[in-house]
Amino acid sequence: MSVKETDLRHGAETLAAGMPAMLLAAERIAATVAQGVHGRRRVGQGETFWQFRRYQPGDPTPTIDWRQSAKSSHVYVRQMEWEAAQSLWLWCDNSPSMAWRSATNLQTKSDRAALLALALAVLLIRGGERIALLESDLPPMTGPTAIDRLTILLSELGAASDGAGMPPFKPLPRFAHLVLIGDFLSPPEELRAAVERHASRGVMGHLLQVLDPAEESLPYQGRVRFEGLEGEAPWLLSRVENVREAYHERLNRQRENLASLARALGWTLSMHRTDHPAEAALLTLYMSLAQRAGE
Amino acid sequence: MLDLGLIAFANPWLLLAAAALPILWLLLRVTPPAPKRLAFPAIRFLVGLESREETPVKTPWWLVVLRTLALTLLILGLAKPVINPDERLYGSGPLILVLDDGWAAAPGWSRRIAAAERLLAQAQREGRIAAIVTTAAQADTSDEAVPLLLPASKARQSLTGLKPKPWPVARKAALERIEAMTFEGTAQVVWLSDGQGGEETAEDLLAFARALQQLGRLDVLDDGAAASARLVRPPENTGQGLTARVERAAAGTNETVRLLGVGVEGEILSNSTLVFEEGETVAETQLDLPAELRNRITQLRIENEQGAGAVLLMDERWRRRPVGLISEGSRTGVQPLLSGSYYLRKALDPFTELRTGATPDLLSRELAVLILTDDAQVEDPSLLENWVRRGGLLVRFAGPRLAENPEGLLPVALRGRDRVLGGALTWNAPVTLGDFVADSPFHGLEVPDDVVVRRQVLAEPALDLQRKTWAVLADGTPLVTADRFGEGWVVLFHVSANTYWSNLPLSGLFVEMLRRLLEVSQGVVTQDANETLQPLTTLNGFGVLTNAPTYAAAVAAEDLSRAGSIGPSRPPGYYGTEGLRRALNLGGSLQPLHGLPSLPDGIVLRDYAASGELDMGPWLIALATALLLADFVLSLWLRGHLSRPEASGSVTVTTLFILALLPAVAAITATPANAQTLGDDARALEATLSTRIGYVLTDIPEVDATSATGLSGLTRVLHLRTSIEAGAPLPIDIELDELAFFPLLYWPVLPDQESLSPVAREKLKAYLDNGGTVLFDLRDPTAGARITGQVSNAERSLRQLLAGVKIPPLIPLPPDHVLTKAFYLMQDFPGRYAGGTLWVEGTEGRDQDGVTSVVIGANDWASAWAVDRLGRPLYPVVPGGERQRELAYRFGVNLVMYALTGNYKADQVHVPFILERLGQ
Repeated sequence: MSVKETDLRHGAETLAAGMPAMLLAAERIAATVAQGVHGRRRVGQGETFWQFRRYQPGDPTPTIDWRQSAKSSHVYVRQMEWEAAQSLWLWCDNSPSMAWRSATNLQTKSDRAALLALALAVLLIRGGERIALLESDLPPMTGPTAIDRLTILLSELGAASDGAGMPPFKPLPRFAHLVLIGDFLSPPEELRAAVERHASRGVMGHLLQVLDPAEESLPYQGRVRFEGLEGEAPWLLSRVENVREAYHERLNRQRENLASLARALGWTLSMHRTDHPAEAALLTLYMSLAQRAGE
Repeated sequence: MLDLGLIAFANPWLLLAAAALPILWLLLRVTPPAPKRLAFPAIRFLVGLESREETPVKTPWWLVVLRTLALTLLILGLAKPVINPDERLYGSGPLILVLDDGWAAAPGWSRRIAAAERLLAQAQREGRIAAIVTTAAQADTSDEAVPLLLPASKARQSLTGLKPKPWPVARKAALERIEAMTFEGTAQVVWLSDGQGGEETAEDLLAFARALQQLGRLDVLDDGAAASARLVRPPENTGQGLTARVERAAAGTNETVRLLGVGVEGEILSNSTLVFEEGETVAETQLDLPAELRNRITQLRIENEQGAGAVLLMDERWRRRPVGLISEGSRTGVQPLLSGSYYLRKALDPFTELRTGATPDLLSRELAVLILTDDAQVEDPSLLENWVRRGGLLVRFAGPRLAENPEGLLPVALRGRDRVLGGALTWNAPVTLGDFVADSPFHGLEVPDDVVVRRQVLAEPALDLQRKTWAVLADGTPLVTADRFGEGWVVLFHVSANTYWSNLPLSGLFVEMLRRLLEVSQGVVTQDANETLQPLTTLNGFGVLTNAPTYAAAVAAEDLSRAGSIGPSRPPGYYGTEGLRRALNLGGSLQPLHGLPSLPDGIVLRDYAASGELDMGPWLIALATALLLADFVLSLWLRGHLSRPEASGSVTVTTLFILALLPAVAAITATPANAQTLGDDARALEATLSTRIGYVLTDIPEVDATSATGLSGLTRVLHLRTSIEAGAPLPIDIELDELAFFPLLYWPVLPDQESLSPVAREKLKAYLDNGGTVLFDLRDPTAGARITGQVSNAERSLRQLLAGVKIPPLIPLPPDHVLTKAFYLMQDFPGRYAGGTLWVEGTEGRDQDGVTSVVIGANDWASAWAVDRLGRPLYPVVPGGERQRELAYRFGVNLVMYALTGNYKADQVHVPFILERLGQ
């Protein structure tokens, strides 16, 4: 395990360790989330007893309940309730614009995104949920090994930082949850095109916009030549302080567009800044997940 | 050359460039500084925005002033301004520098070179040609041709290569070379003298000066004889120790020098002060040192003085005093503890090197003193006599044999028969010792009352008996007599070396007397004085010992102490072999020192003090560079690269540092030869900074990949379960890579294994012998099976692999082996396959605490350990089950533990706990 992976894992575990209080709060809202495994009220794989049924040819012999069979003249097999855990799919924007920070004492946006994603995974896996990454081929998984694997996958994806900046499409099961973490600075139409197919399949989505404080406040002054990180043409401004208001206006319009997109899809949207504590964002995400599950 | 009186410019035409400064000013004014560059993800929201008012951007006026000033300074500096230029040289012809570069020029050599540099700089400004003539003989005789007249700038370059020579000057020969030069006009001759006459007489020197004067004008630079070099003369052995002498050229005022005795490692063993009395040229002091310390001195050196004359190399003549004890022809049956040689050995051992043997054997090596007791009988007395005549010291002890037959080398004639004092039939009592006379080497030793002599041999009365006597008894009869034979001495003790005749050998006085005798000896005398000695290490002109230069030739032993023997082919230094080094010193070769005579009229005598000339060029250029650096930092600041004001100071410093370091870093990294060593070092560091398991590369990529992933899986398990935090496993090319870094090697054996090369075989053998552990994996479940007595393929390939490597007898792993309990308690060691036998070395016969260095099995462990990057196993195990994979991991953990801790778990201390865990 590399140093970076260890750091990421450690950060996520620390973050999630601060959550039990939140877990309690969340349990009040939706016990099922904490329960993790959700009964499907029908026969299937599971641990809870569902019914006895008369033995039929073809039933595997280990399923015969001998105690029950001894009570009568028939042979019974024991059947369990089909239990299925919620599966949650995570996506972190790993486009080059995410690998940026305005000051050395801040985390880059992609580091913060990976940290939040892993912390959420740790929290949910403790609750028994199954987690997968939208960009990997692995099926949803649970248990401590899953955290190990997610750590490796997330840090690999974060280190690459060559992504398109848009979540890919992949057929997810109905009622799966999808958590998208990114800066969402591209035009809202592009994002809409990318997520609409997920939403049409009944996937419940959560958007978390992670921004650097400098992107929100534009704290620069004087003559500055701005250069994009994804191949945009540079833009020279002779006095940055004069355009600050106009910039704020444009950024706010982007957020409003995002919010209306989320409303239209029935998804949730939350905001996060890398100079704010990660706990707040984690709590917001967790609460919105819990709320949706409880509906 | 533009001379403005106070300031002169060497390159005045460069000042024209200053005319271009106003244009520069204009250019700098209108070019604005570049904008700050900033990467910004949300640039989409900025594109299209325009700030309302555009203020004109211009370079600030102070930056323009700074840059103009820097360039002005640069132009001025390149024009080479000189403040207080020196006075003009005489005449129109060349400048001839006559430079004394003999041994005496070493002190203040830098002042001499600086003076020559100033003169040549002046000649360069005046556009003169110049020649440098050195007066010491050249080591390379081809240089003794007519000196070249060069442009002054070229001559200045050759000045840096000049060094003082460790031999005296030969001005007469130099004068011949000067007179062979042809040039036009009158020359300015400057004689940079060392202040000493050297080997030449006063008349010779005056003739030399006059001859130089005839070429034009002669200036003589001289700091006076008082400041010139001093010479350490060879110390003399006296009865009390070494007398060190230092000589100076002029009998001036009182002066003090410190003389250091320096050991082999440069440690200072003695530090004595010598005082030159007013009017004296020689200062002396006694070096009072214990013999042990004195023997370790290799150099006598004047403190804080450079030069070959300030160093005197010491050799065996002043150092070790090997003593030979002749045992030849000893009577048999003498009680060892009662024989004379026993007492002598006890007395001499603490402070000398004592050798015992027959005379020819003893004389085949260098010796200072030979001792002949009465028990011994010399078979060939002529050998002994020759040795004594060449400077040896023979000490004889009397005894019954000598009393019967007084012959051989004796300092005095002896009467036949011995004299018995205090015997049963005599009247007189045993006699005590008398005081030592003043000219005896024993003078000053305290005579104890209880030393008595009961029997002695008597000398025939003779006129010179008094002179030859070094010690007497209380009644005046001689106890010790001595006489010179040729260069050497023969000393006779008139009593025996054991306690039969006196109790002198029991007293401390005996030891002291022997010690004094050693100091009398001349030093080491070898058998052959005519052998040639090769140069070993020689002194350079600054008095530092270096390897002998190629021009140094062999020297005959007898020439070493001859006057005038030092020259280019015989620099001072050590000659001979490492075993027997002889020193050739300036101090032993030179005639008495004397200063320069008073020179004839018309010759200008000056000292070496520097004039007030000051070259401003380098300073101005340095200042300009500093201003340009400041401009660089300011430009960075203007562009916003130093955003935080509080950090700008440190950034400036860092920038300057980086700029200063750049050339050095470039020089280091540019050398391609370093790349290889760096690569090796990098691998060594990588292999050693954390504990790593190594796997031996085969030529088959699949096998290597399995080894790599398998060991990664094992490392991961070690990380999770044990305190071993191993790094990623490293591949090893058995032919090329160093094995010593790895505690454990995993070695997959191929079915068609080739045998090792001799190099690899040696390497593997050294690795195994020094405690390395190798796991040979045959990767074949049938390896152990024998079908009709045939060995399997895998076994054959293992034999092929290890052909020539000495492996001790192997046994199947015993059930109580440490491998079964190093971390986990286990008895089966499955890998991908189960059931194969594990072979280890038999415990007996090896001395590595019973730790086996070879583990051989066939279960293909690496495949069982192999996991992908997400920790999923890569290969199924046969017959199967996670239990088998778990056991495979446990075997891996045990094996690594075993490789790292050896037989630690075999320790009886742990047995109770292990038994408890076993439930027994």
